[in-house]
Amino acid sequence: MNMAQSVPALRVTGLRKSFRRPAVDGLDLRVEQGKFYALLGPNGAGKTTTLRMVAGLMQPDAGAVSIFGIDALADPVAAKRITAWVSDEPMIYDKLSPTEYLAFVAGLWGMDPAVADRKSAALLELLELKPHAHERCEDFSKGMRQKVALAGALVHEPKLIILDEPLTGLDARAARLVKDALLARVRQGCTVIMTTHILEVAERMAERIGVISRGRLIAEGTLDELRKQSGSINTSLEDVFLALVAEQETAQ
Amino acid sequence: MSAPGSWLWLARHEGRLALRDLRHLMTGGGRWRVRNVAITFVLLAIGLHLIAFGVVARHADMTLAVGTRGFTSITGSLLLTFFLLLSQALEHVTRLFYGRGDLDLFRSSPAPLRRLFVIRVLAIAVSSVMMSFVVALPAVNVVAALGGLRWFSALAVAIAAAVATAGIALSLAALLFDTLGPRRTRFAAQVASAIVGSAFIIGVQAVAILSIGTLSPRDFFDSDLVLNHMPGPESPLWIPARAVLGSAPDLALTILGAAVILVVPMVLLSGRLGGYAIATASVSHGGSRPAWGARLFRTASPRQLLQRKEWMLLLRDPWLASQTLMQLLYLIPAGLLLWRFYGDARGALVVLAPVLTMAAGQLAGGLAWLAVSGEDAPDLIATSPISPLYNLSAKVEAVLIAVFAIFAPFLIGIVTHSWTAALVIAGAILLAAGSSTLIQIWFRSQARRRYFRRRQTSSRIATFAEAFSSVAWASAAALAANESWYAIAPAIVAMLVLAGTWSIRPR
Repeated sequence: MNMAQSVPALRVTGLRKSFRRPAVDGLDLRVEQGKFYALLGPNGAGKTTTLRMVAGLMQPDAGAVSIFGIDALADPVAAKRITAWVSDEPMIYDKLSPTEYLAFVAGLWGMDPAVADRKSAALLELLELKPHAHERCEDFSKGMRQKVALAGALVHEPKLIILDEPLTGLDARAARLVKDALLARVRQGCTVIMTTHILEVAERMAERIGVISRGRLIAEGTLDELRKQSGSINTSLEDVFLALVAEQETAQ
Repeated sequence: MSAPGSWLWLARHEGRLALRDLRHLMTGGGRWRVRNVAITFVLLAIGLHLIAFGVVARHADMTLAVGTRGFTSITGSLLLTFFLLLSQALEHVTRLFYGRGDLDLFRSSPAPLRRLFVIRVLAIAVSSVMMSFVVALPAVNVVAALGGLRWFSALAVAIAAAVATAGIALSLAALLFDTLGPRRTRFAAQVASAIVGSAFIIGVQAVAILSIGTLSPRDFFDSDLVLNHMPGPESPLWIPARAVLGSAPDLALTILGAAVILVVPMVLLSGRLGGYAIATASVSHGGSRPAWGARLFRTASPRQLLQRKEWMLLLRDPWLASQTLMQLLYLIPAGLLLWRFYGDARGALVVLAPVLTMAAGQLAGGLAWLAVSGEDAPDLIATSPISPLYNLSAKVEAVLIAVFAIFAPFLIGIVTHSWTAALVIAGAILLAAGSSTLIQIWFRSQARRRYFRRRQTSSRIATFAEAFSSVAWASAAALAANESWYAIAPAIVAMLVLAGTWSIRPR
C-alpha cells in the first residue's frame, strides 16, 4: 500500500452535534479508499446528522473531519471539490432540464465544458434519462428526480460519494440502476458511503458496515466481523443489526 | 350535530380551517396570546380610524342633495375598493382549483364535490366581506359619528360590493378555464388579478396626469373634464352612491343586485367546478425544449453560473415572474408623469424619485427572497466547491443587476434631462434595493420558491423592515431630488431601520 492509499477517504474523530439532546456523541469513523461503506442505525441514531456534517451541510459542535487528508472543517472548499452528496429528498431545479442541471453542476465544480458534456451524455444514457434529457424536471417522478440528482453527483467525478437513503421511493428497476452505477464507481476506485434502512442492500453491496446508535459507532467491520461481534453466526445482517442495537440499548 | 358530508358539516370544517389560517396569519405560527392580539387589534383600529378621519371627516354632512359631483366622487372611491376586492377574490377562486391540499381526499370520498365548492366560494365571499369591513368600517364609523347613523348604509353597500366580487371572480375564472384551459388559466388569472387590482387606480392616475397634470384621483373626479361627461343625478349609474348616502330604495337595489351577481354564477357553475379541479390535477408542463440553458451554463464562470441560474429560473416561471414584476405596473403613472413633464422636469422628478425608489426596494426584496431563501437545491449549492460568501455575493449581484436592468430605461430618460437627478435617483434605487436585499439575507429561511407569496407572513419583521426602509429611502430621494439637505433625515431613519433590523435578526 503506497502513501496515497494509506490516507483514508474519510476520517471522523470525536464528532459531536447536539440539538436538544446529543445527536452525534463523540463519533469516530474511518473509511478506506475505494470501499463501499454502509452506515446503519435505527431512526434518530445520528446517521444523517453525521453525513450532513461530513458533507459540509452542518457545522459540528466538536470533532474533526478529514476527507482524503483534507481538513474539511478548515478547508471546506477543497474537501467539497472531491465530494458529492445525494440526499433522500432529491433537491433539483424544477425549471431546468436534466441536461441543463448537469451543465450547471459541472460548471459549479469548474469542469471543462467538453468533458462535462461527454460525461453528462454518458450518465443520462446509463440512468435511462436520455429520452427526458430536454424536459424540465417539474413533471418528473420521485425516481426520475433521484436519478437526476445522482447524475449530478457523479458528473464531476468525485472521489467520495455520500448518499443518505438514496433508494427511498425508487422502484426496483430504478433502484437497480442506481446500485449498479454506484458499484461501477467503486470498481473505478471511488469511495461510497451510504446510509440505508434496506439491510439487504447493505448486505449485498457494502464491503464494510458501521452501526450507529445514539450518536455513537457501536460496531464496525465486514458482515462476518459483525456476526462475530454480535455472537450470531450464519445469520442475516438484519439479525446482526437487531442484536447489536438491542445489546447497546440494554447496556445503556 | 350535523351529518357528515352535509352542508353544515362541510361549512363547519371550512370555518375551522379558515379560523386556523387567520390565527396563523395573526400569530405567524407562534403561540396565540389573546392579550397581544387584542393590543395589535386595538392599535390597528385606532390607526385606521385616524387615517379615515383625515380622509372622510369633512364629508360627514354630505346628503343626497350633493348631486353629480358628490356621486362621482363616491362612485370613484367605491370602484377603487371594488376592484381591489375583485383582485383578491379572483386569486382566491383560482387557488380553489389549483391548490391540491385536501382536494384529492374529497374527490376520493363519497362527499359531493359540488357542495364543497359552493361552500368554498361562499367562504371567499365572506373573506371579501371581512376585507371590506377593514377598509370601510373605520370610514363609516367616522362619518356616522359626525353625520348620523344613516351613514351605516355605506357599510351595507361595501358588503354588497364584496359579495358581488366573489360572483364576478367565479365567472371570470370559469371564463378563463373554458377559453384558455387549465394549463394557462393559473397564470392568466394571476395576471388578470394584478391588472384588475391596479388598473383602475393606474388608469385614473394616467388619465389624470395626461389631462389635468395631477396624480390625485380626487382632483381628477372633481375636475370639469370628468363632471362634464357624467350623467345627471337621477341616473341609475349613481344607485350605489345614493345607497351610500342613505337612500333606502337604492340600498335595496344594490343589495339585491349583489346577491344576484353571487348566486346566479354559483348555481350555473357549481356543477363544473369539480371538473376544473380535476383538469388542473392532470396538467403537464412537459414537452421537450431545446436546452439553451445548458449552452449558457457551459460558457459561464461560477459567479455567472449562479446569476444566470437565478434569472433563468425566474424567466421560466411565469407565475413567479408575474408575482414579482406586477408591482411594476404601479410605475406606469410615474413613467407618464416623466413623459408629461419632460420639459419642466423639476416637479416631476420630485414625484418620480420616491416612486422609483420605493418600487426598486420592493422589487429587490422579492427577488432577494427568491435568490436567497427560495433556493430549490440548497444542498447542491452548500456542497459545491464555492464558499458561502461567494455564493451570496453572486446572488446579491444577480438581484441588483436585475433591478438596475428594469429601472435603466427610467434612468436613461432622466439622465438626458439632468445628470445630477439621475445620479440621485440611481443612488436611491441602489440604497433601497441594497437595504431590502440585506434584510432578506439577515432573515433568510429556506423555503420552496412556490411559497413566494407566504414570505410576507413567514417573517413579518422582515416585511415591515423592508417596507419602512423603502419608504425612508423614497422620502430621502424625494427631498434630494428637490435639492434639499433635509434628505439626510430620512436617510438616517433608513439606516436606523437597517441597524435595528440587523440587531434583531435571527442567529
